[in-house]
Amino acid sequence: MGAVSAEGFPMPMRQSATSARWVLSAPLLVFLAVFAVFPLALGTWISLTDRSILSFSINFVGLKNYADTLRDPDFWHAVFFTLKFTLISTFATLVLGFLLALLVHRRFPGKTLLVTALIMPIMVAPALMGIMFRLVLNAEIGLVPAILDRFGIAIHLFSPHLVVPLLILLEILQWTPFTFLILYAGLQALPDDVFEAAALDGSSPLRTTFMITIPLMVPSFFVAGFLRAVDALRTFDVIFVLTGGGPGSLTNTLSIYIYKKAFTEGNFGLATAAAMLVLLMVVPLIPFLIRRVTTRVGDVP
Amino acid sequence: MNGFDFSMRASRTIAAAGVLGAVAFSVTPSVADAQTTVRMVLWPGPEGDAMQKVVRAYNNGQGKTDGISVDMVLLSRDDTFAKETTEIATRSSNVDIYFTATYNIGFFAQGLEPIDDIGIDKSKYFSAAIKGLTIDGKLYGVPLDVSNHFLYYRTDLVNRLLKDESWKKSYRDIARKVLGEARDPKKPSEWTADDYLATAAFFSRSENPDSPTRYGTALQAKTSPFNITLWDDLLWGLGGSWTGKDGKAALTSDAAHKAMSIYRTIYEKHYTSPDASQWEYGETNAALQSGSAAFAMQWSAAYADLTSKDKSPQIYDKIAVAPEPGDPHRTHVHTLAISLNKQSRHKDAARKWMAYLATPKAMTAYAQAGGIPSQPAVLKDNVKSNAAFAKIAENVRKYGYSLPTFTGTFQAMQSITEDLSSAWVGVDATDDALSKANDKLQSLLDR
Repeated sequence: MGAVSAEGFPMPMRQSATSARWVLSAPLLVFLAVFAVFPLALGTWISLTDRSILSFSINFVGLKNYADTLRDPDFWHAVFFTLKFTLISTFATLVLGFLLALLVHRRFPGKTLLVTALIMPIMVAPALMGIMFRLVLNAEIGLVPAILDRFGIAIHLFSPHLVVPLLILLEILQWTPFTFLILYAGLQALPDDVFEAAALDGSSPLRTTFMITIPLMVPSFFVAGFLRAVDALRTFDVIFVLTGGGPGSLTNTLSIYIYKKAFTEGNFGLATAAAMLVLLMVVPLIPFLIRRVTTRVGDVP
Repeated sequence: MNGFDFSMRASRTIAAAGVLGAVAFSVTPSVADAQTTVRMVLWPGPEGDAMQKVVRAYNNGQGKTDGISVDMVLLSRDDTFAKETTEIATRSSNVDIYFTATYNIGFFAQGLEPIDDIGIDKSKYFSAAIKGLTIDGKLYGVPLDVSNHFLYYRTDLVNRLLKDESWKKSYRDIARKVLGEARDPKKPSEWTADDYLATAAFFSRSENPDSPTRYGTALQAKTSPFNITLWDDLLWGLGGSWTGKDGKAALTSDAAHKAMSIYRTIYEKHYTSPDASQWEYGETNAALQSGSAAFAMQWSAAYADLTSKDKSPQIYDKIAVAPEPGDPHRTHVHTLAISLNKQSRHKDAARKWMAYLATPKAMTAYAQAGGIPSQPAVLKDNVKSNAAFAKIAENVRKYGYSLPTFTGTFQAMQSITEDLSSAWVGVDATDDALSKANDKLQSLLDR
């Protein structure tokens, strides 16, 4: 009789299973190495150098770029603006997306048409959306100010005190359909028997929503919230097209801050250090969120 | 003839055709090899369109004699320079000739080859163009389009202001309120910074409810590096500059404070739209075209649109240009250019093409195709192609200045705009903004 493994399988079979695992994982490992490990390693190296377009000589500067970035008030302004932008827009898109999902979660004529119309904004490229809003909201030639003007309302959405709410509003308008889509799918996957039992017990729709639907939807909320927050943290296109980060640095997101460091200042060392710092801020949250997303209802979190 | 014979003959024919094809294929590259392809980057728009015609003419004409074919790549207008930054930083040889400008030539210089040896006649160009492309005595680009600013104003409104006694009286009252002294209206060609402010107030309903326009002017106050150049005209026109005679940053000068105060007053008193905090070239044109603003400082490129019956039906016959307000009048001048990549594998061919582009013949073709060459004689000879040419030539020659050329010019444009634009629109305090901008400029100058 041949050698037997601890699991009771003959050794050649175990070796074969191990090889198969490696072979099957190889494409993913190659993908990770090329698109995650290598760029990350290169980025880490560049962040420790003074690499710049102004000089081709590259010198190791240790953690200087990190210290300079952390001392830069514009970086912290960008951090706080990005967090505010992310939190408000993510929360609002989740609430509105859920309300829309509840609204659509029933039979009515024209439902397919409505759902199609609802998800259209996410099909538009953000940069295009920015250009579109820049034209539509233009005080001189824009449709919205012209209509408001007819009612005697003069509103200047790009003025400094309205521009931040405007940007958040546009983000909400474009991405609510995304959260709606995820939450609507989650809503459809909920077991009917629970709702039937609640109805038999005489639970009101509001009570059913708060006591049954929302708790059951927690994983969907986390998936939608996580994806939306990650996307909002990286926001660049719409804001860059509409405000360029201004007035001053008022609407600089972290992405715009990093872009300016790299392509306006040509300082790749500082830009990658800032990008690595952002990564370090976000990475610790990921295991927590993954755990919440994969937690089943009833499991102890 | 049986089927077998036919099939054999067909096979032989196909084989012969294959051999001929292979021979032709092997010969064709050797013909093509006789020509060197030079790859050049430009951006789309009037410059790219005009250059396309010059390239086509060269490839079909002198290019054949020179053994050179030019392949022009048009990148996006918004991120041409960002892409070039990446190419230069990675020492790429993908492109032989980069698109550059006087404001970023210092930024890119590390990756560019000086081109003094191609022997262009510098005397044919505006001196500001050559000066702006020269670093440490070496020329780094062949000048293409020249850009400057004009004061665009409504002739119907300003002429009435100069003649109508009741308007004049009202103007004097408003000037007293805004400037602290009564003054008479002047022709735009004689405006100082104070006249500019007083007239902006007069044509704004916030100050003069009877004004025919809602706003006097249209400020370009968006945080964009190009918008600082318009403010610079006021600064230079008040006797200021980015740097003092000692070469040190001078953004805390009295002139700088005055220029800031004029912009801020215009914005805060609603002599421009509150949305102007996000305005640039397009919005300024729109404000003039829609009749909501009486005048504005704007780029020379706008002349064609603002005087076009199709594009500006309300105002095309009521628009004129004057030098930028100031005593003396000054206008920022920058020149777009092409520069030789230090990593190019076809430097000799690229130099030949660049030398060709520096000839009046090539620049005349460029002007007739819609470009604005920086050779005054070519502009003068082609006034029929574009009525603005004569005004541009005169304005640049009389009033033009270039920003200081150093490695951080473009960074300085960005950082100064970022600091000052927030004060223009009342977000930050003027003194803080000027002081911050001055410190950053000095650190860029020191580097």
